[in-house]
Parts: sequence; C-alpha cells; structure tokens
Amino acid sequence: MKDFCSSVSKLLEKYFDQEVTDEERLLVEGHLQDCPACQDVLSSMEKLRTLIKVPVEEAVQKEDLPWVWQKIEREIRLQEKLTWWQSLRPWLDLSPLLKKKVWIPAVATIMVLLFISAQIFFKKIPSYSGASVVEYVESGTNNVMVYDLEKARVTVIWLFEGPEEEASPS
Amino acid sequence: MKRVIALIAFFSLLFILFTSVAFAQVQTRLKVIRASNVGQSVDPPLKELHNELRTLFNFTSYRLLRDENLSLSLNQPVSISARERRIIMEITLMGLHKNVAELRIRVNREGTEILNTQVRLSPGRTVLIGGPKVREGVIIYAFYAHF
Repeated sequence: MKDFCSSVSKLLEKYFDQEVTDEERLLVEGHLQDCPACQDVLSSMEKLRTLIKVPVEEAVQKEDLPWVWQKIEREIRLQEKLTWWQSLRPWLDLSPLLKKKVWIPAVATIMVLLFISAQIFFKKIPSYSGASVVEYVESGTNNVMVYDLEKARVTVIWLFEGPEEEASPS
Repeated sequence: MKRVIALIAFFSLLFILFTSVAFAQVQTRLKVIRASNVGQSVDPPLKELHNELRTLFNFTSYRLLRDENLSLSLNQPVSISARERRIIMEITLMGLHKNVAELRIRVNREGTEILNTQVRLSPGRTVLIGGPKVREGVIIYAFYAHF
C-alpha cells in the first residue's frame, strides 16, 4: 500500500492542478477513497492554495487599476511619438536589405537608370555645324530674307513690311 | 520588399526631378533694339553689334529698348512685348541638345502672325530677327545663347 501511495502521490500534484489524463484521474480518485494519508496531502494542498489566493486577491482589489492602466497608456503614447528622424531611420537603414536577396532588382533598376542617364549625358549631338541655323521660316503677310554672316556668326532673319520698305539690308 | 520598392520609387523620383530641372531649361539673352535713320547715336552696349552689322544695314541709330535674360523651359512659351505698335514675340524652347537650343519664334502684330520661324541657337552664335516697323525705324530682336 505504501509503495502504491508513493506512486500516486507523484500524480497528486498533477491531479490537483488538473493536468492528469482521464486514466490517471480515475486511478488517483480510486486510491483517494481508500487512503486517508493521501486525502490529507490533497487537503493540505487545497489549504495552501487558499492561503495564497486570498491575500493576492485582496491586494489586487486594493490596487488602483485605472491608474496603472493610465500609466501603461501614457508609456504607449510616448513610444508612438517618434521624431521625424526616428521615423525616417528605419527607411534609411540599408543593412537588412544587404542580408536579403533584394540587391538583384535594385541593381537592375540602377542599371536601367544609368542607361537612361547615359542617353541624356552622352547623347550624340547631331552636327549642326554644317546645317542651317534656321530650320524654317514663314510669313503669311510679308516677304522674309535669311542671311548668314559666317565670319561674325550672326544669322539675320529679316521681315520686309510693306512695299515702301526703307530700312532694308543694304 | 515594400521598403525596396519605396526606395526605388524615391530615387527614381529624385532622378526624374534632377534630369527635368537640369536638362529642360536654357538661358537665353534677348536684346530688343530699335534701329532707325533718325540721328547718329548708338547705345554703348550695341556698338559691337553695330560694327558687325555695318556692312549689312544702313541704319545710323541703334537704341536698346530691352535687355533680358530669359529662362526658357521646354514647350513653355514666353511672350515679349515691344511696347510699340502692339508687336508681341512668343519664344518657345522646342528642343535642347548639348550645345544647341531649338527655339520657335513667332511674331504677332496686333493679333496677326507676321513671322513664324524655328532656329538653332548655340553659344557664340547670334540670331537677329528684324523688320517689324515702329515709328521711324524697325525693331530688331537679338538672341544670344547663355549655356
């Protein structure tokens, strides 16, 4: 009986905390009906729990919980109020990117941008040295003359207004 | 991945802004001159131009009416008024290459277009557009590249 008691007593704590299986529960409850010693052990466990539970509950009731909650809320708000720099820092932090395989699309994008910028920076300029400075000239009302002074690098577009034009190029 | 997309979008935006600001504007100097045969005076800033044009024109007087630096943006017309006989010039930057700016120039007199031209302006090159009559003389617009 004593050996059986010692084996059941190991289960008593689990039984007390309602952590036993159905099989174990039947075993313990069957034993408890015939064993006053184990009944005493279980009874002392219940007393001990009551001894602890009552003062803890009293302390909780005495505690000003709304004030504690306000403190928690204030702490949360303080954490939420980040400066602009603090909120920007996670975005500027590139270290997590280097750990991930995100550099492939990043490099591809940079390459595309470089290609576009190269088109702009090093665009082959059509040689206009031989081409005319004036692409086109038209007037629906008057005659127009175009004259190039190549020595002075001056191009003149002259509009002849009226038949009595006096101030025309000589 | 969202962060990568956001960063790429941010740098792309910066790139677009940079290129649009850096490459889509050109500085042009414009002088509005009244040339006539009344008097013999030539305004000092026009003496060099007068010497160059001496062989071409027979005007004896050159007066500088306006001297402006124009900041031209792509496809954004800028209007210049000569204040005389309602002559309005509209200048539009049509294209910009490394050393060449393509300018479309329209001259209107009292609402009627009297001239429409497109020229290629490069550093060191002067483009003169002249002829519209004012009082005793004519108006000459002188364009200089500033880039």
